[in-house]
Amino acid sequence: MFGDEELIKLHRKRATQVANIILVCFGIILLRLWYLQVYKGDQYHKFSIQNRLRKEIARAPRGMIYSTNDQLLVDNIPRFDAVLTRQYLKNKDETLNRLASILDMDIKDVKSTIKKHSSQARYRPIIIKKNISLKEVAQIETENASLPGVSVDTFISREYVDGEVGAHLLGYISEISQQQLPKYRSRDKLDYHLGDFIGQFGIEEEMDKTLRGENGFEYVEVDALGRKKKYINTDNLFQGIQDKMPRPGKNLKLTIDRDMQVAAYEALKGKSGSLVALDVKTGKILTMVSTPAFDPSQFSRGLTTEYWNSLITNEENPLRDRSIQEHFSPGSTFKPFTAIAALEEGIINPNTKIRCHGTYRLGRRVYHSWKRWGTEKVNVRDALMQSCNIFFYKAATDMDIDSLAKYAKMFGFGQRSGISLPREVSGLIPTKEWKLKRNGIPWQQGETLSCSIGQSYVLTSTLQLANAYAALATKGKLFKPYVVDEVFDYNGKLIKKYEPELIREIELKDSTWNAVREGLHRVVNQPKGTAWWRRGFGNNMAGKTGTSQVIRAQSAENLYSKCSEMPYEFRHHGVFVAFAPYDDPKIAVAALVEHGCGGSTAAAPVVEKVVSQYMQKYLPEKHKEFAKKEKAQYLSFLRKRNAAREKAKKENEAQESASGAEDDSAQED
Amino acid sequence: MNRAILEFFKKYDYTFMVTMLAIFIVGVLNLYSATHSHSSAHMQNLFKSQILWFSLANVIAFGISMFPPKSMFRLAYWAYAFNVLLLILVLIMGKEGMGAQRWLVFGGFRLQPSELMKISLALALARYYTKNSPEKELYLKDLIVPFIITIIPTVLIVVQPDLGTGLLLLLIFLVVSFYKRLRWKSIGVIVLLGLISGSVMYKFGLKEYQKKRILTFIDPYADAKGSGYNAIQSEIAIGSGRWFGKGFKKSSQASLNYLPENHTDFVFSIYNEEHGFFGSVVLISLYIILLMRFIWLAGSSLRFFDSILAIGLMAIFFWHTFINMSMVMGLMPIVGLPLPLMSYGGSSILTFGICIGLVTSISNSRNLF
Repeated sequence: MFGDEELIKLHRKRATQVANIILVCFGIILLRLWYLQVYKGDQYHKFSIQNRLRKEIARAPRGMIYSTNDQLLVDNIPRFDAVLTRQYLKNKDETLNRLASILDMDIKDVKSTIKKHSSQARYRPIIIKKNISLKEVAQIETENASLPGVSVDTFISREYVDGEVGAHLLGYISEISQQQLPKYRSRDKLDYHLGDFIGQFGIEEEMDKTLRGENGFEYVEVDALGRKKKYINTDNLFQGIQDKMPRPGKNLKLTIDRDMQVAAYEALKGKSGSLVALDVKTGKILTMVSTPAFDPSQFSRGLTTEYWNSLITNEENPLRDRSIQEHFSPGSTFKPFTAIAALEEGIINPNTKIRCHGTYRLGRRVYHSWKRWGTEKVNVRDALMQSCNIFFYKAATDMDIDSLAKYAKMFGFGQRSGISLPREVSGLIPTKEWKLKRNGIPWQQGETLSCSIGQSYVLTSTLQLANAYAALATKGKLFKPYVVDEVFDYNGKLIKKYEPELIREIELKDSTWNAVREGLHRVVNQPKGTAWWRRGFGNNMAGKTGTSQVIRAQSAENLYSKCSEMPYEFRHHGVFVAFAPYDDPKIAVAALVEHGCGGSTAAAPVVEKVVSQYMQKYLPEKHKEFAKKEKAQYLSFLRKRNAAREKAKKENEAQESASGAEDDSAQED
Repeated sequence: MNRAILEFFKKYDYTFMVTMLAIFIVGVLNLYSATHSHSSAHMQNLFKSQILWFSLANVIAFGISMFPPKSMFRLAYWAYAFNVLLLILVLIMGKEGMGAQRWLVFGGFRLQPSELMKISLALALARYYTKNSPEKELYLKDLIVPFIITIIPTVLIVVQPDLGTGLLLLLIFLVVSFYKRLRWKSIGVIVLLGLISGSVMYKFGLKEYQKKRILTFIDPYADAKGSGYNAIQSEIAIGSGRWFGKGFKKSSQASLNYLPENHTDFVFSIYNEEHGFFGSVVLISLYIILLMRFIWLAGSSLRFFDSILAIGLMAIFFWHTFINMSMVMGLMPIVGLPLPLMSYGGSSILTFGICIGLVTSISNSRNLF
């Protein structure tokens, strides 16, 4: 009609060409497909799987901590957060109001929390309230349908079974801070992330690497918006992609005795102080308590502002560990070591008697004993018993401070004990060289006198005192104290056992040991001893009271004024150190009660409670036996005293004169 | 009478319809797979409306195939003029969608005149080339009028803006002109002109987002989460299919929403992800069979108008197929052209149905009219 066949034939050629061009085009397409699907197929396949998978950290549960009797001290407990995912939020005002009322929060706080996180992706949950109660969890779960976007997130909280008891020793964990991040990464060669919890104090800090375990990872399927899918297709797509199970942290068994720990905490509660008890034959720490304390669980649950403020505004500073991170003047508890120096250096012998005058004069300065009026002449045993300052002043007059330091250092003073806990202080034992370096002034003999009764420059920690007395108890075996006894894995398989480590064996004359130890025994077990009235029954303790003076350069006035009448912050610290039982010593205990006035009134009862706890638990037979003996001794003493008083009374009545000395227990030392 | 009808159906060329159906079946299954896991019910039901559109397209195609090509020859310019008018109407009172004015709404019916324009252009060009000295080779000057015929709707479509369809009209024009024995020298000149005008266009004529598409094509990884996202995810989807694919309904890229528009522009990616290289060879073979049938018909048609129209309609199919496949596999910048009979879209299905109707009519005319 329009053309003819001739014409059509002309175009056949072009038709073939068109066909060829088209075939070439599809050839290119197929080539490209081959390149993508066959040549690079495996790579793209991997991409497509990575695309849909998100690697999520599977956090390793932290190791648990047990007491020496296998009681759980630190546990991991699931807790709950109320979270809101904005992506799913509907009926905003209604939902938020309901949520606020369930959580007992102000709607404004809820909104401001959301606003704070408004820059993050909408599918990311925002924590509205941390650590909600089970009741709140139940309420949110049941109203789930009417609360779109609201859900409950689980997290593992570190729970310290006994709360504040031993908080400083156990420590706490909290999120790694921005400043810690680079430091810890390079230190541990571990890829820490923000949000990781690490030990920040005490054992949690020291043993962090053992406790923390190894995080694993798991793949979850996510869509293009990063939302988690409920299930993962378990077909062959995921070949070669495997989750890594987290490896739980290792568990610790401590040397700590939970009952003694609780007893010590109860005894110290309401006071500021610390107590350390250790096994004299191994150096195992049985008790280590510092008060006031904090609740470490709060740190892993997420500190509330109120709680944090209450900690940092407390003038007694609950975050301070008074057992190893603080030092103080040991007062008279240092006297045994002065005695040892004097005995060993031949300045005195066990039978040298010195009159306990009220005052002692060296040069122009007058040194006072704690009793204004001098008593009879005493030997070293009784000097310890009565804590006679003058005796030690006189002994110190001829003593070189460096030789006193030599003996003190033998017993571990002036250096860190080496316990594996963070931030231990070394205390201070002065020497001539030290003073010259520090003040540029040469040593003065008068200072030796002050040092001889544990004042002046001498500083010790509670732990050092306990350990030094342990060496007295064992006649010279000074161990390195330790708190971690065993490390074992989650199957209970023992991984590491810590063995006692003898630092040194102190060799002194037998007569020296006997004199000092008998002196310490008399302190507790003789009616004239400074701790006689506070010894309790059944412990067979030997020990020494001490007063750590808070104010220096005392006048005679405030020296003899009643401590309890002074303003709190000027009151002396009371110190008491003991070992028990005397016949076969097992433990040494040191206690410090800040501003507690006398060592016997404030610190000795604390020590007595802990020792009693030990005796009842581990040596019940002996405890009963001693109690019987000591009670009998006490009763006979009372009988004698009453008889004496009766007699005196009669004489007094006859003479119509003033009464005699009352019970002097209130102000000894 | 009955005999005549029987004769008609005996001689009726079903090949185009059957091939179309084959591709459509693959397409609708793929559409179902791509959308079945989508969260909205509307998306999940897309394949149903696709089937409805396809049925309608078949009815129309069958209807058109009843008419002899002669009537199309007569209607060619009218259809062209009417369609250009519609394009102008779109610019004046069109409905906006996706940032461009493409639709006319009549009652509840949405019409996309740019889709029909492809066919109208093929008709107009076929008629023009038939009328004017069909025996001669084409010189450049002979292209002036057909170029004007082409450029008017092209400009109207590009300003909508719909660059893809605009370019498609030019490509149809090129294929038809090539078929009408355009001299190779002239082709060289056109290619040169195209390159120059193309770069001038890029510099001054393109909108920011259009430029971005081209830049994205050159380096999709420069903005992998933004403008390069689709291109990259599409390549991942295709590549991850490997030899035999992940299997029907197993596309992770689609079911997890990594590929947006996976029911329209990116159906081929999903198909490749699920059926792999092997599946693609099958699908591409179907397209090649269809296109070769067009070309064979053009080459064997006794009437010149029929021959050129067949090539023009073939060009519509071919360019859609080639461009869509190329863009999803990173051979071309992403322009929004659907894959014939695979992508979701009523207008597009109807357009291809009309094409099939026309070409069936041409084929039938060899034996019937």
